Amino acid sequence: MIQFKNVSKQYEGNLALDRLNLTIPSRDFFVLVGPSGSGKTTTLKMLNRLIEPTDGNIYFDDKRIIDYDLKQLRLQMGYVLQNIALFPNLNIQENIAIQAESLGWPRKDRIARARHLLTQVDLDPDQYATRMPSELSGGEQQRVGIIRALAIKPKVVLMDEPFSALDPISRKQLQDLVLRLHRELKMTFVFVTHDMHEALRLGQHIAVMRLGHIQQIGTGDEIMQHPANDFVRGFFQNEHAPQPATIQQLLNEGYGQETTGPATLTATAPVSELAAALQHAKMAVVATSQGNRSLETADLLDYLATKEAD
Amino acid sequence: MQAIWHILTTQGDDIVRAIGQHIGLSLISLLIAAVIAIPLAIILMNHQRSAKVMLQITSVLQTIPSLALLGILIPIVGIGTIPSIIALVIYAVMPIFQNTYSGLTTIDPNLEEAATAFGLSRRMKLFRIELPLAMPMIISGIRIATVMIIGTATLAALIGAGGLGTYILLGIETNNNALLIIGAVLSAILALVFGAGIDWLGKLSFKKAGIVLATLVVLIGGFAGYRKLAHPQTTLTVAGKLGSEPEILINMYKDLIQHDHPNIKVTTKANFGATSFLFKALQSGSIDIYPEFTGTVLESLVTGEKSASHDPAKTYQVAKDALKSQHRMAYLKPMKYQNGYDLAVTQQFAKKYHLKNVSDLVAVEDKVHAGFDPDFHQLKDGYPGLSKAYGLKFASVKTMEPSIRYKAIANGKVNLVDGYTTDPEVQEYHLVVLKDDKQFFPPYQGAPLMTEKLLAQHPELRPTLNKLAGKVTTTDMQKMNYRVSVKHEKAAVVAREYLKSHGLLD
Repeated sequence: MIQFKNVSKQYEGNLALDRLNLTIPSRDFFVLVGPSGSGKTTTLKMLNRLIEPTDGNIYFDDKRIIDYDLKQLRLQMGYVLQNIALFPNLNIQENIAIQAESLGWPRKDRIARARHLLTQVDLDPDQYATRMPSELSGGEQQRVGIIRALAIKPKVVLMDEPFSALDPISRKQLQDLVLRLHRELKMTFVFVTHDMHEALRLGQHIAVMRLGHIQQIGTGDEIMQHPANDFVRGFFQNEHAPQPATIQQLLNEGYGQETTGPATLTATAPVSELAAALQHAKMAVVATSQGNRSLETADLLDYLATKEAD
Repeated sequence: MQAIWHILTTQGDDIVRAIGQHIGLSLISLLIAAVIAIPLAIILMNHQRSAKVMLQITSVLQTIPSLALLGILIPIVGIGTIPSIIALVIYAVMPIFQNTYSGLTTIDPNLEEAATAFGLSRRMKLFRIELPLAMPMIISGIRIATVMIIGTATLAALIGAGGLGTYILLGIETNNNALLIIGAVLSAILALVFGAGIDWLGKLSFKKAGIVLATLVVLIGGFAGYRKLAHPQTTLTVAGKLGSEPEILINMYKDLIQHDHPNIKVTTKANFGATSFLFKALQSGSIDIYPEFTGTVLESLVTGEKSASHDPAKTYQVAKDALKSQHRMAYLKPMKYQNGYDLAVTQQFAKKYHLKNVSDLVAVEDKVHAGFDPDFHQLKDGYPGLSKAYGLKFASVKTMEPSIRYKAIANGKVNLVDGYTTDPEVQEYHLVVLKDDKQFFPPYQGAPLMTEKLLAQHPELRPTLNKLAGKVTTTDMQKMNYRVSVKHEKAAVVAREYLKSHGLLD
């Protein structure tokens, strides 16, 4: 468990973090989200002491992190960087095993561990282990970046906007990957992003930050349904959550059959209402200006699939 | 081209030795510079301000002209290999330091952050990440330093450290383009080869590069150590100025000493440098004996007594006494020949007007078109004094470079030139030297010079070297110079032949 107690960070008169209080439960997938300058990355980097607080204390398993031996602390915390930052002079397996090497693992064990991790992220070790980082695509490099953070089985994995430089398809694949890894490995993941959509997709708990203050902490649902203030609401709506699609948009795409059955939904209702209706029935009937139309689950799935592909 | 080939075939061993010296000097300097600069850059990589100061210092050192730097070092550490290495190291530190520093400080901060966040130790971060990433920059720094060192090492010849510069200096001194080209081209080739070698070294892994470097160090060290150990008995170093004549003389000294005293081993250092370098080397004990001219002693090595007598015996006596009282040096007896100024004309011209002595010129002075060395044209001991002493005034006088003079007279551009009495060109161009019948020119006689201390330790040197006293006529010397500098025969061979044919050696 990680706890921030009244943690502040001051940069030459500029307060980057203001008396932050935060608890991250063990094995949680915890996302820090906010616009730039919100202090989310500062918060993350305080955990492995890349940045030291000017005030307050941070506890890791009930012990102040400044009381840990720095090297021991860092070896318990994997770290994934935004710019991936694979060492260009080391090949893939050497990159993955760099912390293991620093711990003095025998070479055989290091290679075995690196190869095992490569298979876990669907990179063939025979093909990738001895390549140089520059020979890999951005998505492949960040896969390696992630498993490098896992190599010595840390308790906590810190990820600083790890997917922001990737294309949407790689990003989605890697989001799935970290979700899977989190499920399998039972580690605490602390993940920083400025993308609310990503936060909602990944986080078990989300802390929304702004100008060095936490605006709201909660699950994705809690934040979506009960935004604590206008900023959270605005951030959620404007930045990355477009107006939810209406049933009308589905109809405009040509889905649905004419029907004479009684309508239970209106065309201006959001798609989520259609989805709710379809949970209980095989089809739902929508009233439109040109008469009633029926929609099935298959229609909804097709529509969402084409949207996703856009 | 032919001349170059001739020199390469006749002096191959010497050239190989010079290349060896050059490489040794360069590699040792490079290693020392790297051992200083790289750790310094590592220490200072996290101290920006000190690093800036250091960069300034090294840049300032860089701007000192190499000749001046050598000059500054001579009074402190003497001459020879050590000051050369110091000077080369001083030059090489800057590019290596600068490149290593910027290589280490321009590493992507994300990589630095990653290494830190992974909890890598300072040591591991340095050796596994930072140095390998900075390696291309470090290698290019070493490369720059190498090319610079190999170029600058040619100047080491000026202060007696040998190397390919010997040939360049000698080539300039004697207007022998073949020698000049050999020295320059070989050092250029060395620079290229070493540049390529360093690139190759840069591509190797840390471990392999280390092994190669360590092997080199052991080889050079072992070789130097072996050379030290291989000379157990008393060793005397006999050095000579630039040119063929001193080289012939020191080989005579060597043969005589080793013949008479088998327990003494003599090493010769030909083309060791100019007068002041040699004299300082003698004072500091870097060398033991060198042949010096009586006239030069009075002119530049002792104070007072400037207005030399024109009588050779008196000149020698004055020089000997002054050296003894002012520098505690022993000056053994001079040889017969004089290497002073003279006037030379073509055989044709001499025959036509029956010229034998300088005073014979008075009758034909309006027919004489002279080509003089600029010094000779100006100095009191040269043309101005001569014209007063003999009452001469030539029809025309042109000043020209010493080496061009002889060509000018050979081509008929002038019909009288000044020269040194033992110049081989007198023989080469079939010139006639006119006798200085009024003994106007100050005498320049060669004699062995050494410290009194050495002579006290080895009194047996006196009778041995005095065997040459009064020997070697001007014509002998001219002939020997001709064989060595024009025909490129070996000085050692020419010297030994002379000694044998004159019964000084069996």
